[in-house]
Amino acid sequence: MKHYRTIDHTADIAFEITAGSLEELFETAAEVWLKSTAEIKSFSITTKKEIALESFSLENLLVSFISELNYLFLTKKWIALECEYLKINKHDNKYMLRAVLNGSDLQSVKVIPKEEIKAVTFHQMNIEKTGTGYRTKIIFDI
Amino acid sequence: MKIQGIEITKINDTLWEIPKYGGMLVPGRIYTSKNLLDSTLQNDEAIKQVVNVAHLPGIQKYSLAMPDIHWGYGFPIGGVAATDLDEGVISPGGVGYDINCGVRLARTSLEFNSIKKRISKLIENLFKNVPTGVGAHGAIRKLSAKEIKNILVNGSQWAVEQGFGSDEDIIYTEEQGKLKGADTGAVSNRAIERGMDQAGTLGSGNHFLEVDIVKEIYDKEKAGVFGLFKGQIVILIHTGSRGLGYQVCDDYLKVLVEAGNKYGFKLPDKQLACAPVKSEEGQNYLGAMQAAANFAWNNRQIIMHIAKKTLMQTLNISESELDFHLVYDVCHNIAKIEEHNINGEVKKVCVHRKGATRAFPPGNNQIPAKYSFTGQPVLIPGDMGRYSYVLAGTEKAMDETFGSSCHGAGRVKSRHKALKMGKGRNLVAELKKAGIEIQAKGYRTIAEEMSYAYKDVSDVVDVMDKAGISKKVAKLRPLGVIKG
Repeated sequence: MKHYRTIDHTADIAFEITAGSLEELFETAAEVWLKSTAEIKSFSITTKKEIALESFSLENLLVSFISELNYLFLTKKWIALECEYLKINKHDNKYMLRAVLNGSDLQSVKVIPKEEIKAVTFHQMNIEKTGTGYRTKIIFDI
Repeated sequence: MKIQGIEITKINDTLWEIPKYGGMLVPGRIYTSKNLLDSTLQNDEAIKQVVNVAHLPGIQKYSLAMPDIHWGYGFPIGGVAATDLDEGVISPGGVGYDINCGVRLARTSLEFNSIKKRISKLIENLFKNVPTGVGAHGAIRKLSAKEIKNILVNGSQWAVEQGFGSDEDIIYTEEQGKLKGADTGAVSNRAIERGMDQAGTLGSGNHFLEVDIVKEIYDKEKAGVFGLFKGQIVILIHTGSRGLGYQVCDDYLKVLVEAGNKYGFKLPDKQLACAPVKSEEGQNYLGAMQAAANFAWNNRQIIMHIAKKTLMQTLNISESELDFHLVYDVCHNIAKIEEHNINGEVKKVCVHRKGATRAFPPGNNQIPAKYSFTGQPVLIPGDMGRYSYVLAGTEKAMDETFGSSCHGAGRVKSRHKALKMGKGRNLVAELKKAGIEIQAKGYRTIAEEMSYAYKDVSDVVDVMDKAGISKKVAKLRPLGVIKG
């Protein structure tokens, strides 16, 4: 039941995301990041990357997760194309994320860059539980 | 009147006030016109953000907004706030991700008629030589971490020492291109890594390099001191600290969201995360932010030098024939410790300028000696299809806005709407018809950055001029633009 919609924002790019679980919410946030950052013409998955992150809040964890994808893209020239595995646990008042990402070096992908996402903002981000899952807004600074 | 349910009172034709309510510690004040208020501020969250900023601990006098105000995150873009050094806070949300995003203007001896047939070639060569677009890199070789740290401490002095400019350029850069409190130890390895191949790169979004003509002079005397004359060819550069600065902001927002809990701050927006200026977290951010600001000055210095060389090569002229000089370089995303008059007492405060330009007056000891009778040049880029402006700082800005002015036109249409409006049109041909050559990495950027996405910068600048916050000196018009 994951779903996202674009919200009109004057300067930047904003989405509202809903999902049945926290994991789906984070995966959908990765999808909207990919959709905003590049148009993929053709690709083959060549490599995997494991990500381990932790934070005291879910919002901080989501910002860290998408920021990681953005860093890998802009600096390591590696693009995350799909989440093979993603799990979020809470332990000792900290949220922990473990993910396996499938992706490719930029040389192996036919990609047209769209926007340079400067950062994933905290503005209006509030991960809330709904009757059927979770919802948040996410705004990328362009 | 009410906007988004918030009461706003007119003080005069250029100034509106939001009276204190709820948890606001000071009133809000917005420099604008009735026309701008009605046409651009009804449907976004910018006014609410002025209110939110007024909640920051230690804020002094007013939460201010300039006429180019639009919806940001935490602070509105076009927001200015000064906080007390002992009881106040510093907030990365009051600076933005692109730390020391700014503008520099260089003048030449060239006149339009002498180069009009070469402008297309010039723009083509500038686009080849200045890296633009997403993840742009490669203006100069990839630098080592040690070299990046050197830049973080020395700012644009590093570029000059490497042959990208002259000592004169340092004089005509705000803060001489170097904030002295830069702390490389407070900058993460990831931020340094992101800067290694980005020195001398323009980036994307609203960043640009323009070849402009001086279209109109409003104040002949001041224009003369700035070295500007009608018909003159000038270069305008708009960019910032690239990935390094974004990473510094990102790193410290997370730290300061946690610090906010520790210090018991209750703020209406997480993006206003802050820490007391003198706390360990606040000082670390200040040191890292100053380092990133120095990276940005170095970035603009390298790009300007590449532009100068490209002009000489394309036009086949010597350095003396080109007579290329930096007029000034200003930053418009920064927090600075400055002295201001607060209710009759001169004291040091932390001035956040988020999309606002310093506009110091004649006689201020922080501006170049040559400008001591004019006030500092205040550089206001518009959109790529219309105009940009050069203004001069005034004493009134010191009295009312912590020495600050507007920073640009201000967006009114989202990127999404702008893209839709550009659909089915040949925007490159439209610009060409208007006498503007453009080179960009993608058509998308051109559509997103067309004039229709922005307020008319003339309306914005007129508010500042009429209010006496900064006075018009010259109007520039683009002849050619490169974008990411």
